[in-house]
Amino acid sequence: MILKAENLRKSFGSTPALDGAGISVKAGEVVAVMGPSGSGKSTLLHCLAGILKPDSGTVHYQDIELSGLPDGERSELRRTHFGFVFQFGQLVPELTCLENVALPLRLGGMSRRKAEAKAIDWLERLEVTSVKDQRPSETSGGQGQRVAVARALVSSPKVIFADEPTGALDSLNGERVMHLLTSAARDTGAAVVLVTHEARVAAYSDREVVVRDGRSRDMEFAT
Amino acid sequence: MSIGHALLGLLESGPKHGYDLKRAYDRRFGHNRSLHYGQVYSTLSRLLKNGLVTEAGVEAGDGPDRKRYAITDAGVTDVEGWLNTPEKPDVYLQNVLHAKVVLALLSGRSATDVLDSQRAAHLATMRELTRRKTGGDLADQLICDHALFHLEADLRWLELTAARIDQLAKEVAG
Amino acid sequence: MIRWADDLLLGVRLAVGGGRNSWIRLVLTGLGIGLGVAVLLVAASFPTALNARDHRADQLRVMDDGPAIAGVDPLYRVQAIVDFRDKNIWGSYLDAAGPNAPVPPGADRIPGDGEILVSPALGRLLASPEGELLRPRFPERIVGEIGRAGLEGPYELRFYAGNAQVEHTAENRVYRFGLTRAQVYNPLLYAISVVFVVILLFPVLVFVGISTRLSGAQRDRRLAALRLIGASAQRVRLIAAGEALLGAFVGLAVGFALFFFGRQYTEDVRLADAALFREDLTPAPALVVLLVIFVPVLAVVTAVVAMRRTVIEPLGVVREARPVRRSLWWRLVPIIGGIALLVSQVGTVSGPRRPNEYVLASGVSLLMLGIPLVLPWLVERSVGRLHRGSVAWQLAVRRLQLDSGSAARVVGGVAVVLAGAIALQTILASAERSIASEDHADAGKNHLVVSSSADADVSGLAAAKGVREVLRARQVSAQTESENWIAIVIADCPALRGLLRIDSCHEGSVFRTRDADIEAEGSITFVEYQDDRSKRVGATWRLPAAERVSSEDVLSGELYVTPSVLRNVPTPKGQSYYVAALDPAVPDAVEHARNAVGPLRWRAFSYFAGQRASTEAAQVFASMRKALLAGALLVLVLVGASLLVMAVEQIRERRRPLAVLVASGVPRRVLVWSVLWQNAFPLLLAMIVAVATGAGLGALLLRVLAQPVALDWLGVITLTGVTAAAVFVVTLLTLPSLRTATAAPGLRTE
Repeated sequence: MILKAENLRKSFGSTPALDGAGISVKAGEVVAVMGPSGSGKSTLLHCLAGILKPDSGTVHYQDIELSGLPDGERSELRRTHFGFVFQFGQLVPELTCLENVALPLRLGGMSRRKAEAKAIDWLERLEVTSVKDQRPSETSGGQGQRVAVARALVSSPKVIFADEPTGALDSLNGERVMHLLTSAARDTGAAVVLVTHEARVAAYSDREVVVRDGRSRDMEFAT
Repeated sequence: MSIGHALLGLLESGPKHGYDLKRAYDRRFGHNRSLHYGQVYSTLSRLLKNGLVTEAGVEAGDGPDRKRYAITDAGVTDVEGWLNTPEKPDVYLQNVLHAKVVLALLSGRSATDVLDSQRAAHLATMRELTRRKTGGDLADQLICDHALFHLEADLRWLELTAARIDQLAKEVAG
Repeated sequence: MIRWADDLLLGVRLAVGGGRNSWIRLVLTGLGIGLGVAVLLVAASFPTALNARDHRADQLRVMDDGPAIAGVDPLYRVQAIVDFRDKNIWGSYLDAAGPNAPVPPGADRIPGDGEILVSPALGRLLASPEGELLRPRFPERIVGEIGRAGLEGPYELRFYAGNAQVEHTAENRVYRFGLTRAQVYNPLLYAISVVFVVILLFPVLVFVGISTRLSGAQRDRRLAALRLIGASAQRVRLIAAGEALLGAFVGLAVGFALFFFGRQYTEDVRLADAALFREDLTPAPALVVLLVIFVPVLAVVTAVVAMRRTVIEPLGVVREARPVRRSLWWRLVPIIGGIALLVSQVGTVSGPRRPNEYVLASGVSLLMLGIPLVLPWLVERSVGRLHRGSVAWQLAVRRLQLDSGSAARVVGGVAVVLAGAIALQTILASAERSIASEDHADAGKNHLVVSSSADADVSGLAAAKGVREVLRARQVSAQTESENWIAIVIADCPALRGLLRIDSCHEGSVFRTRDADIEAEGSITFVEYQDDRSKRVGATWRLPAAERVSSEDVLSGELYVTPSVLRNVPTPKGQSYYVAALDPAVPDAVEHARNAVGPLRWRAFSYFAGQRASTEAAQVFASMRKALLAGALLVLVLVGASLLVMAVEQIRERRRPLAVLVASGVPRRVLVWSVLWQNAFPLLLAMIVAVATGAGLGALLLRVLAQPVALDWLGVITLTGVTAAAVFVVTLLTLPSLRTATAAPGLRTE
């Protein structure tokens, strides 16, 4: 298990978002987190990634308990071990696509030239080299998402968190992004936690966890 | 859709006459096609032969309608097995699934489990299709996508039913 | 027409209909515009205040030897100035010749012999412990106060004393108070006020403009929703104007409320004892009308102009992705024009002309206008060249490259304030320095010079505390062959030794000061003015050889002689002087000496040559600088507030990308730095432009005023430092909103 969460509880005000949810993710596997909207799947993802601190319960990444880490170390961990793809609006609008992809590497201290060379490789791999000098607002939705995937993968993360990565895309572009994302993750051995409400997107996973009313259910029980 | 499993499921709540069984079946699953008496009695006799039901006593008078049927232990096991085995993901499953859910609710079993195992089976098939699609040529892709979209529709129905399970339970009980 | 009004009204409804947020926005806008309006109302009150003051000053004047008026008894009056430490107390000694004598302004009656009316400030001073040494000079019985009509300002020290010994001469005779005189301008002070007003008003306008554009992004979204349901672009513009109008009217209301509330405290605002009466702070009606029209118009125009580059489409707001590159040439026109106008005024201060105030004001305004025009160009060009640097730097630079306009607009306000403050600081510092050098000439001396008619009894002077000795001298006037006026001081050797600080003196010595304008071996003619102001020419005297002395004494004569030298020459009566040499070790020795001659009242005139804490003029300039600094700080706070609002707004607009960055592990530190760079870089450019413009403007104005050009670098550095600190504080204040924006809820899809 590379990532394991148990008994997570989290409330926003008086509204409970998570009510004893848990999940475990093996290295290199793609796990789909499904569930109706408002069920708490995004909150679960935020807790898993150390973006949110659960009110109670534990999240272990490898042997590290995330909620025990100070904010700075969690940031560091997210930057170096995790990658993120969201539905939209994740690229920095002012930076070019190439600069966006190079950003995590540069934050890790890599020189601009080396970072951008590596970023170019990833843009090629995701078939979006053509937009490297454009700003995100000048690209199509599919291109933007692929740039975002490149950015998530560029720092060779162990876990990629994808929250509705195809939510703003049409079927064909969605399929393309999912294909590129999962195959690139499998090639690099990264695990993927994929939050989606679309079954066809979840079909790119190895395994499914359903979240309802803040509780999670591992669907392996049936097989 | 197996009438036998449905009748077995209805008998779980207690012994019934054939006439009662037909009425219960019609009310729950018949929709606009009610069961013939012939179908009921032929099914019951098949179940009797397989040892899944037993005659629970005959009242005075003539005719098959005087007999009461009860479910046997083997019958209960059979129902349970049926409920917990997801249907082969295929189109137009709703009738079977609906019956399964209602019977699960009637017998106090977990209807969510029924739906979720079906869901898992659906998704497993979708995964398989997705894998085949990504390796295949355009014709394969188109065929797989057709199946995937249908399965997705089922899965959505499963999800919606799961979300309405409490409401359904109330109606079934009422 | 009806639809037109309906659209405006809809805008108003939208502006208040958005729940708590829209109310907060309205309050902020109202406060922002209100502050500006209040400042403008104060500015609009200055014409009234100055007119009222000039009018009262005119009422205090009298025509010398004016014609008799039937039925009016003459009032005999001598004016006197009583010096007390660094204060001048103006007043007059009065003696009415009859019951129908004119009553001076501010007095309810003419004080009788031995009675005195004092201004409230003088009354307080006399009653205070500080005034202990002043009391002996006003032994008269205080019988009342001088009212507002007799004072130029609330802190003026004035008195009317009744005294039966006032000579009933023609020149003391008054039949009527009040004389309209042509205004006399001090060109330096006048230029300063023109520049001050222009500089003060500029940022207020900028601020009003910015305030109407608060929460622009939210407004744009709202308008996009209106486009979706079918409003035309034209109508959307009207609706936006309606929103802006509401803010402007709320601002006007707040502004008037603030003004009338603050007006109560008018008299507490003192500039070196100069202050305005509360009643004088009344806005000129014409200017009020102008203001009430101007502010809403400005608000609407800014709102509409702000939407010029924004196309509000039904599904959202489209901003032109790449704005047109800015061109420079037309932005330079106002600067060149301003410089030309100011240069045209150089050299006008000497001679009969004075600088034309309109030309001066236009020059300054144009030069100032150049700053907000040139800055966007400068920011765009400089940012375009930046590439390398840390991630935070890259984020900031890219942000600025994408939208350098709004940043440049805000810092434009800062730059105008800073440039104006530096220019004024430069002028004031230069003026202060020239006063300080005059002051310096008196350093090292410690004499009280008393001039009085020869028969006055000054015997008390020698006995006064702190007076070491009293020297006697007589001064007569003469003209050289080339008609230069010179003063000849006649005194015995002990007195000359004391005055000139020389060792050798014997009967018959003649001394001349080093730069005395006297032809060697020439002859001079004694001259004296009679009481009736006619000139009487006396004897001519051939100058003997004179010894040069270096020191300038308190009587500032050109020639010093012992009495025996002129024994055989008839000399005019001249003026008698008693020079009291003071002991610097005795505090307030000069006040003791003044008290000793106090009983002589107007018959003895004294002046002090020596080191004072500071002269009054220097104090005026020092407090003007203080006021300038305070004003500049206030305006900077205003600008800082708008900077803050813009920064917070920008963070809110970019909530999602920021939240995603933090989620993917970008340290907040990097974002904080990028916000800091993003604010600091345009500001740095603004400061460079401001310092250059301010110093240039200051230097130009000093050239216009024919003053030596010297920059007050300490002041420049202080002001610049304060500005930099303001940006830092603004950045700090944005951190909470950055934290909120980057929290996980920011990731939610709306």
